[in-house]
Amino acid sequence: MSIFEYNGSALVAMVGKNCFAIASDRRLGVHLQTVATDFQRIFKIHDKLFLGLSGLGSDAQTLHQRLVFRHKLYQLREERDMKPETFASLVSAVLYEKRFGPYFCQPVIAGLGDDDKPFICTMDSIGAKELAKDFVVAGTASESLYGACESMFKPDMDHEELFETVSQALISSIDRDCLSGWGGHVYVVTPTEVTERILKGRMD
Amino acid sequence: MKLDFSGLESSAPLYGGSNDLLFDGFSAAPAFDLPVTSNFDEYQKKSVQMVKPAKGTTTLAFIFKDGVMVAADSRASMGGYISSQSVKKIIEINPYMLGTMAGGAADCQFWHRNLGIKCRLHELANKRRISVTGASKLLANILYSYRGMGLSVGTMIAGWDEKGPGLYYVDSEGGRLKGTKFSVGSGSPYAYGVLDSGYRYDMTVDEAAELARRSIYHATFRDGASGGVASVYHVGPNGWTKLSGDDVGELHYSYYPVEPATVEQEMTEAVVA
Repeated sequence: MSIFEYNGSALVAMVGKNCFAIASDRRLGVHLQTVATDFQRIFKIHDKLFLGLSGLGSDAQTLHQRLVFRHKLYQLREERDMKPETFASLVSAVLYEKRFGPYFCQPVIAGLGDDDKPFICTMDSIGAKELAKDFVVAGTASESLYGACESMFKPDMDHEELFETVSQALISSIDRDCLSGWGGHVYVVTPTEVTERILKGRMD
Repeated sequence: MKLDFSGLESSAPLYGGSNDLLFDGFSAAPAFDLPVTSNFDEYQKKSVQMVKPAKGTTTLAFIFKDGVMVAADSRASMGGYISSQSVKKIIEINPYMLGTMAGGAADCQFWHRNLGIKCRLHELANKRRISVTGASKLLANILYSYRGMGLSVGTMIAGWDEKGPGLYYVDSEGGRLKGTKFSVGSGSPYAYGVLDSGYRYDMTVDEAAELARRSIYHATFRDGASGGVASVYHVGPNGWTKLSGDDVGELHYSYYPVEPATVEQEMTEAVVA
């Protein structure tokens, strides 16, 4: 198994009507052994910007710390939060700096931009941005996630329906993956509130 | 090129003389033609890799005062992908003997069925049931003759014969061990932990079934390659019976129910002055 499958992960972000949802699994494993069932993969950068990091757990944590540092410096200089599009460019640049010894992570960035327009994007481990209007996926369960999201997605869902759709897509995909699962963690972000929910999943 | 199996020919006299037409095909181990290749070693290496002896599964069996308890999960995995959550890993060889499946599914299914045929022939030829010792030896000898060819079988033969309950571990390396407690597969270390700490010889059938179920559940929790349904079978003096088949996803929440968390901060409408 490759280094991306060492810890196991599943991430999905989906766009709704003036809102977005970002969800991950909760397992941290060492090959097939499950070591933790409450691992945090989605990090808040600011109230309207979330970053999910799939792949190697230690690189995910280190990369998150580096990016939070860069964002805080930006906040001090510009006296405002970063726009999601700008943050995506920052992540891409930070990843490409390590082109010949990369971070073994695939980030998923989700945020509300100008006029609270939802923005999602994903990248490979060396920073190739992939913008999407509907959903993005990453992790060991990504192929199952693509299938599930493709069939369940509808444009312009409100935040309740979006939560249901993202949860179903995540749970059904991680039930087909040995290396991710053991529950789900879903954030639904609208212009006025952030809702964080833990999903009860199969613990096998 | 046919492999030579004359050494395994059974020398037991067949009742009523040599009925070559009927029994010839079964008395010897099935002979398979080897493929014609320019590089046989390379082919052999590739065929061994094909069914990687990863044995992503959890099976266990133990003897206690009322017989043998056999349990297994039901997940089949191909690398990281779960190909099935409903595989039958406990194979019914005959009404008083069970075999467990770990390793290559095709290998286990085929050779257990072959063993069932041999056991039936033994019954007909000798007018009495084969012992667990004999059955496991038959299987072990066949697997030994295919040693190094890439078969992947890690099985336990559990049954009840004239000597009482019997349990043997047989694998594709040709090993055969008699014992009272075994667990096979990638989830076996976790199952052993629970099984070893809870085992007593004088358990009742219900206690033993719960121990087996719990061990499989804990293995499915920790091992990524085990999951699905925990099946528990009991082999007693009158043969085997299936006791339960519980989905481990539901078992988790029945063992560890989720308590609603106490709310620390509750949002309320702000009173506008």
